Amino acid sequence: MSRTILEVTDLRKDYRQRRGLVSMLTGQGRVIPAVDGVSFYLRENETVGLVGESGCGKTTIGRTVLRLTDASSGRIVFDGRDITNLSRAELRPLRREMQMIFQDLDAGLNPEMRVRDILREALTVHERPSEAEIAGRVRELLEQVSLKDSKLANFPSELSGGEKRRVGIARVLAVRPRLIVADEPTSALDISIQAQVVNLLRDLQKHLGLTYLFISHDLPVVELVSQKVAVMYLGRIVEMGLAENIAHQPRHPYTGILWASLADKQNTEVSLHARAGAPAERERPTWGVFDFEQPVNGCRFAPRCPLYQDKGRPAVCTDPASEPQLRDVGHGHVVACHFA
Amino acid sequence: MDAPLLAVENLRTYFYSRAKRAFIRSVDGVSLGVMRGETLGIVGESGSGKSVTALSAAGLVTAGPGVISGRIDLQSNGSRRNLLDGLENYARVTEQDGRVMAVEKDERGWRRHSETLMAGVRGKEIAMIFQNPRSALNPYSTIGKQLVETIRLHTNFKGERQARERAIHWLERVRIDSPRLRFDNFPFGMSGGMCQRAMIAMALSAEPSLLIADEPTTGLDATIQSTIVDLLAQLKTETGITTLLISHDISVIQRLSDRIAVMYGGTVVETGRAAEVLAPEATARHPYTAALLASIPSAETIRRKSYLQAIEGEVLDTIEVPRGCRFYGRCNRVTEAIRGNCAGLEPPLGEVAPGHKVRCWLYPAAGKP
Repeated sequence: MSRTILEVTDLRKDYRQRRGLVSMLTGQGRVIPAVDGVSFYLRENETVGLVGESGCGKTTIGRTVLRLTDASSGRIVFDGRDITNLSRAELRPLRREMQMIFQDLDAGLNPEMRVRDILREALTVHERPSEAEIAGRVRELLEQVSLKDSKLANFPSELSGGEKRRVGIARVLAVRPRLIVADEPTSALDISIQAQVVNLLRDLQKHLGLTYLFISHDLPVVELVSQKVAVMYLGRIVEMGLAENIAHQPRHPYTGILWASLADKQNTEVSLHARAGAPAERERPTWGVFDFEQPVNGCRFAPRCPLYQDKGRPAVCTDPASEPQLRDVGHGHVVACHFA
Repeated sequence: MDAPLLAVENLRTYFYSRAKRAFIRSVDGVSLGVMRGETLGIVGESGSGKSVTALSAAGLVTAGPGVISGRIDLQSNGSRRNLLDGLENYARVTEQDGRVMAVEKDERGWRRHSETLMAGVRGKEIAMIFQNPRSALNPYSTIGKQLVETIRLHTNFKGERQARERAIHWLERVRIDSPRLRFDNFPFGMSGGMCQRAMIAMALSAEPSLLIADEPTTGLDATIQSTIVDLLAQLKTETGITTLLISHDISVIQRLSDRIAVMYGGTVVETGRAAEVLAPEATARHPYTAALLASIPSAETIRRKSYLQAIEGEVLDTIEVPRGCRFYGRCNRVTEAIRGNCAGLEPPLGEVAPGHKVRCWLYPAAGKP
């Protein structure tokens, strides 16, 4: 079995919301736990998918494990080394090994630099290669991301979405990373281009032995590229396991709903039902946003949980003393639900 | 057969790119009709012209030269009116070999004229919902106030009290919980899904003949998307509202549409009944539609962890439009027998089965317009 490259233990990241002058001056304010005690690990050359709705903390995890933001507590171990509290100077040599692909296609692409110079900058930020080496590496990078030579002279504004994405990936590959956090790498692209980029990312993983933390809300794509999938809800992982089990044998009601919402949109049979008048089972509670001002009482999914309703609102679900913890249900599948 | 509620005929909406000194042919000869009570779904990628088609129909294209030719007929109260009536008096189009070389358009004059044509139509006869509901709602006014305003303006519920009750009725119709409380909410306190519901309530409260829904689920979370799609499906059954639905998401289009039009590079490349065009076993199909469907991971692809069938190349920019088929450069189904046609001659939209049209040289029937 390949070795563990990243291990995250009980990671927490609080954001402080300050409202008004008083709280700004006193430094007090509401604490919003964007990531609230998350543990997982990544093995070398593997892809772990991270799914969940916006605001659940996916991106915050990605940024925190790369130390782009500091964790409030917890432990991040990269390649056997605790990096949670490393200083900026100590982190610098590690930065090249851990990179991020951002959702925003323009992120990292200086609009005033030509593609050639963007790649050159990435190649020389950690090393001092010779001109010949740079030229060779640029050629290699273009080949790796299937980009034409002619694009080197272009400014980012002259590129299409797909080309920008390829340059962004080439820029990341320039430093020869081992771990890449891919934050919604396809969501800003057209469908026909998304498939190209997904294929490209999988190819690169195969040839370069990359490890991906793949953050996305596109469930079929996540299922396709990932070996393992972690499902997040309001700052916590509620279920994690092999991709096919998460997709087809979910144990947590939230995971079930996530995948069902996908099937709902696609399945024409369901739509025929809807046309004939919605059956009662399809009536779902209104999906609101979570209100951080209310304290969490027990399971944070309970207010939206169909199982909680079906079971006649068991007290254990809303008992503040018994927030469900992840437990192993076999085959490395973990789930945080009292009734899973 | 009845005349369509909305009939778009040979619509061309162009913009001008100063950087490239050329026209952007966003909508380049689009014809389509929406029958009363049906939902027509337009699907396509960015730059395909789907949104600009809808904006043109609503008279909301403001950049120049904008709409340069065509007609848009709307049936209302038993009479038919062309929303582009008199356009030719404001726009002089110089063409050469079927290509637009120059447009002289009195944009200010046209806009003034268009506003008189659209008065009493936009908001009343044609209502729209957009991708970003929050930006379409007035942030300084409560949801209730905005609804009441629409209702008093466009319907017979003129009294303050009457309109208020009607507003609450619509909030209930779009399944907003505790509508009486929500009535006094400002948009900023509401989630994206809730804002979209309010937007839908506002559009429908004017009791329009046609609803234009432009990417109504894009930008919302997956679970919220499916509830909005559910809601639109239910409202469709309940109200029978005629809808022009625009989305890049095939699953949304599939779920809600009776008929669909697939757009590519400013033209309609395929149109027909949704069940026929998107049926997995369909035999006649535009290569672009087929490729779009194939680029979504199927259960089989996921199980085998195989590669996705990507469409090679880039989405066509509508500035440098090729002479032949617009999809030729990316098409994987060109045969030697038709290559000459594909490269040099734009195929017409021809009927391959009753009500099913495809713009492709592969289908001999399509060769004859």
